[in-house]
Amino acid sequence: MARQIEIAAWRLACAAVLFFGVLTADDTLAQPSLNPVPKDCQAPGSIVAADRPLINLASALRERKKITILAIGASSIGRRDSASGGYHAVIETFLERTFKGLDVTIINRGVSGELAIDAGERIKTEVALTGAELVLWQLGTADALGLVPVEKFKESTRDTVTWLKQHKVDMILIGLRYARGLATDPHYQSIRTAIAEIAKEQGILRIGRYEVVETIEKIKQQQGAPASEIELGEADYSCMAEYLARAIATGLFAKEQPATVPRPRP
Amino acid sequence: MTRPANAVDFWRGVALITIFINHIPGIFYQNITHRNVSLSDSAELFVFLAGWSLRYVVGRPNDPTPASQLMLRLGGRAFTLYAAHMLIVMIAIAMLATAARVLENPILLEWHNAAPVFFEPATTHIGLVLLSHQLGYFDILPLYVVLLLLAPGIALLHRTAPNWLLPISFMVYVTALVFQITVPTWPTEGQWFFNPLCWQFIFVLGFSFSREYGPGGWARRNISWIRRIAWPIVIAGGIFAWFGSGWIDPTKVPEPKLLFINGKTFLTPIRLIQFLALVAALSVIYPSIERATPQFVTFSAMLGRNSLHAFCAGSVLSLAGQIIRFYFKGGILIDTVLVVSGIVSMGVIAWVVEWRDRSK
Repeated sequence: MARQIEIAAWRLACAAVLFFGVLTADDTLAQPSLNPVPKDCQAPGSIVAADRPLINLASALRERKKITILAIGASSIGRRDSASGGYHAVIETFLERTFKGLDVTIINRGVSGELAIDAGERIKTEVALTGAELVLWQLGTADALGLVPVEKFKESTRDTVTWLKQHKVDMILIGLRYARGLATDPHYQSIRTAIAEIAKEQGILRIGRYEVVETIEKIKQQQGAPASEIELGEADYSCMAEYLARAIATGLFAKEQPATVPRPRP
Repeated sequence: MTRPANAVDFWRGVALITIFINHIPGIFYQNITHRNVSLSDSAELFVFLAGWSLRYVVGRPNDPTPASQLMLRLGGRAFTLYAAHMLIVMIAIAMLATAARVLENPILLEWHNAAPVFFEPATTHIGLVLLSHQLGYFDILPLYVVLLLLAPGIALLHRTAPNWLLPISFMVYVTALVFQITVPTWPTEGQWFFNPLCWQFIFVLGFSFSREYGPGGWARRNISWIRRIAWPIVIAGGIFAWFGSGWIDPTKVPEPKLLFINGKTFLTPIRLIQFLALVAALSVIYPSIERATPQFVTFSAMLGRNSLHAFCAGSVLSLAGQIIRFYFKGGILIDTVLVVSGIVSMGVIAWVVEWRDRSK
């Protein structure tokens, strides 16, 4: 009798574990361990990407095991080895290796030299056409070089970010890249700061590629082997891909946080 | 002997001037080009008038250009355009490289899709020659080359089966829209900014409306009531452009979405209809402009007569303008100097071309 009760209790416990396991499995994903970024890309002390949830992407991952990412923006999207996919290939490979059975499609619709205001209109169209769950928006370079007023840039970027949020599309902002000659350029730095501010106030992911390469340059200088501009450019693109891939993977598990600063509406 | 100013050359010149201004992103004078109050912009006007100009090569119905001559002339023109495109692209690449070196700013090497040229030159140069890699703002001439390569077929189809030309062109356009068929870029993944499968339709429309019979004859006979319909469309388009396209949510429109949304790459119907309405509405005002500003009309028509030279000069000058603006940190004074000197330079080049032709 005692033996039968023991078996029944075990069955009940197993059933409960399975039942609740199924329930929770529907809502959460087993977080895989992520390889650290390559040594050359490590930038201690600099915040590259805060943990921000990619809720809509996570939902697509759970429901379909298939995610569509739209890459769009002003400056050159693919620089290194673009014939074999450029930095998209790094992200795609990383995500598909991290999440077994996941099908990642990255659609590149980057138009080089496009201002944020024009890209914003195109993003809406491309999201509608592709059904993307995540937009990688590389922005600011053309606006900085074209001397677009910072307030105008902020306004158009906020409009697009708001639209994407309203349409349940996640986004990651990829900011300006580091260049020595522009470290003291006030307009370039203003656009850079504006992107960081928008990401913070809207609670969205931003890849701090500028900070990474700036830190890498400092490390190289401390090591007595200062990097050339070409090497810094190489580091920028290869490291951005590595950080971006990890930011997406991390974003799939991050908990939702409120935006730090409520957006003032005009 | 150069031909006197006419409406087609004048509007072509206007398109060239506004393309030059619009190709300097961020410049103050962009605020006064017609794209601020219009869904379509100068690109539509330029391609439409390119199609219109095809009539001069095709000849009159009672005196048609022989087919072999037509093929040779249009093929030769396409090759000239291709060579001109290659030249200005190489100049642009050299300008970006020079600016990056002089200003010690490597980011300039990556401006306007130039990064693959510098960092992956072997494959990218193949792409440049194949027109599958295009620099930003240097993407209209590749479309024009493709259209001129199609032009002999368009002209011969028009000659042998005139009633079939527009329907076939329309079918290609709609098929590209419905199935989102596009022309890919290489080696960088992407698509042509101007989809030739869609933009061929406005080229064919320009050609068809240029003729005194068929669709062109019908439009001329009915222009007064067409204008009555056109004006509300132009005004609605102006309001739509001025206040942004938030009125239509592209995610909410039914499939096939491209039939209902505003997109330049695919020259979506909303842009095309607004452009045709604009043409109809403004086709009446050329004589008034000619009377009011004869010097400007003469100047603009000169640009229009020498559109390839003026366009190439404008493309290079607009890139120079972007670099200069960046260096001098912009401002209304710099913007004014750039616009005035750029337009005057385009005029000087057009004048030199005509002077050279007259001297032969």
